Amino acid sequence: MKKLTIAVPTGRLKDEALVLLGRMPHCPCLSIDSRKLVIEEASSPWRVLLTHPKDVSTYVEYGVADLGIVGKDIILERGNEIYELLDLRIGKCVMVLAAPEGVTPETFWEKGRIRIATKYPNFTRHFLQERGVAAEVLFLYGSIELAPNIGLADAIVDLVSTGKTLRENHLKVLEEIVPISGRLAVNRISIKTKGREIQEFVEEIKGVIDGEPNPPQTHH
Amino acid sequence: MELSLGMRDIYPKEARLRKKIRETLCNLFERWGYEEVEPPTIESYEVLSKTIGKEIRERMVQFVNREGKLVCLRPEFTTSVVRMFAKESTEDLPRRVYYAGKIFRYPSSPFRFESELTQIGVENIGANTRASDAEVIALAVSALQAAGMEEFQVDIGHVGIFRYLLSRLPLSEDEKNVVKELLKGKDFVALQGFWEAKKLHTHPVASFFLRFPFLRGKEDIFAAEREHFPDPEWWQILDYLREIFHILRDFGLEKQLFVNLGLIRDFDYYTGVIWEGFSPHLGYPILAGGRYDELFRLFGKNFPACGFALFVERVVEVMQKGGKEECPFIVRLIYPPKWRSRAFQMAEKLRREGLGVVMEEKEGEAFFLTTPEKTLRFSLQESDNLELMVKELRS
Repeated sequence: MKKLTIAVPTGRLKDEALVLLGRMPHCPCLSIDSRKLVIEEASSPWRVLLTHPKDVSTYVEYGVADLGIVGKDIILERGNEIYELLDLRIGKCVMVLAAPEGVTPETFWEKGRIRIATKYPNFTRHFLQERGVAAEVLFLYGSIELAPNIGLADAIVDLVSTGKTLRENHLKVLEEIVPISGRLAVNRISIKTKGREIQEFVEEIKGVIDGEPNPPQTHH
Repeated sequence: MELSLGMRDIYPKEARLRKKIRETLCNLFERWGYEEVEPPTIESYEVLSKTIGKEIRERMVQFVNREGKLVCLRPEFTTSVVRMFAKESTEDLPRRVYYAGKIFRYPSSPFRFESELTQIGVENIGANTRASDAEVIALAVSALQAAGMEEFQVDIGHVGIFRYLLSRLPLSEDEKNVVKELLKGKDFVALQGFWEAKKLHTHPVASFFLRFPFLRGKEDIFAAEREHFPDPEWWQILDYLREIFHILRDFGLEKQLFVNLGLIRDFDYYTGVIWEGFSPHLGYPILAGGRYDELFRLFGKNFPACGFALFVERVVEVMQKGGKEECPFIVRLIYPPKWRSRAFQMAEKLRREGLGVVMEEKEGEAFFLTTPEKTLRFSLQESDNLELMVKELRS
């Protein structure tokens, strides 16, 4: 058996990801110490790397991790060359275009100049390009929902799970762009050189997901 | 001091490694009867746009030349080689050629920069037999070996598999293109979603596509997958691939070779067998190739051909990870100005023997030969004994 290196994101997906891995029949005992970034025991068939959520797909693309648990939002933004094998049905939410209450899709798209704030500039640029809209994309690191209220942007492109944050900031979904959830990403060489191990891992985790029609949800 | 975006300087240590790889591969190709060609750096857009798919076309470095024509820095070699040999007549075939040089592509994502890459590859023009496929794949295996890869594997597949399967699904041309894009992007989650949306998720062909990541093995995979589709068209593709696998096994190359029925290459111009070489120490392929019998047709000829290219920067990356390094053997010859003419004679003699020699004048009564590890001091009389000294320096 070849050892598998698995990149697990810190942040909103971490708890659900670890619960999911823990339910796998052959899951090695993972003692997750929050300060440790690499969890490795000689006897374990896995080596787990705890990484920034936005870095997981990059680790997998460059092959320092064979597998990774990563949000679809990150894959869409980074455009990584990886195998996307499974929808893990964790961290479910939607990438939306949202604007202040009272704005309708018609009045919005016909507005001459549009500025959209987002943490996902590449994804947003592609989305707008496909729409044939020449809007300005404003890349922000956080508090995206604030931007329309203070006149920094006309709308936002961001992840929404319950819609609570949007409502609190008097924003409304104009369009649901794409559903987002945690995915199992695999390096394109590891899938060959460690094919058997990865296939077993996939079958096992698939069994766990399929056995849970309503997986527990946590919202950020 | 500014370096143009996407460009990179190569310093001696890496240049030495690159040169060694290039020389080793060029020698190898020549020993297999391949001759070098040098297509131009700039190709007309019109020529390239015939063969290059959308993804690479959008990444080409293009500009308008003095005649007002749109031209590009070559994004690959195969199209240029095909253009070169499309002038020839059938009597001149087969031709075996190789190339080594830079290619230029803007990066595939905003998170990447490198735009100048090196490819070394071969094209075998004029034959479409199993033996010619096997010859070129065997050469690919030898190339990886010669390049210094200690552990490597080559997957062989066939574009016919993917085309056959696609033709068996009740889908429109546009929908087939969606499937193609999803497979190229290796997005099996979206593919599953697409099958569900089209109510095809229970269709045997659709579910076969979902197994693409794991359809890899040795000889046994042919028997395992043969009866999946009891259809002579399917058997024909598998049999073809198996025959190639057998030839390569007879060549003794089975160890590094795998059959991968789910192999997908991103160039649209492949028509038959395709292959990909990689190292377990690198996350991306280091060699890729295939048969492209339709390509010459775009230039008005009906020549079959196949070939492959090695991505030299990736070979270098594997070698650097392995920590393999060779230092050049350079000696310094320090001499008094009064014995200058004797010193130059000595230096030339050493250079003829393949040594790197740097000369340095210094007042004194003796010669010195130095390397980072050793220094030899000798007089004018002793200077005849060069060979002995070199032996001592090298030891």
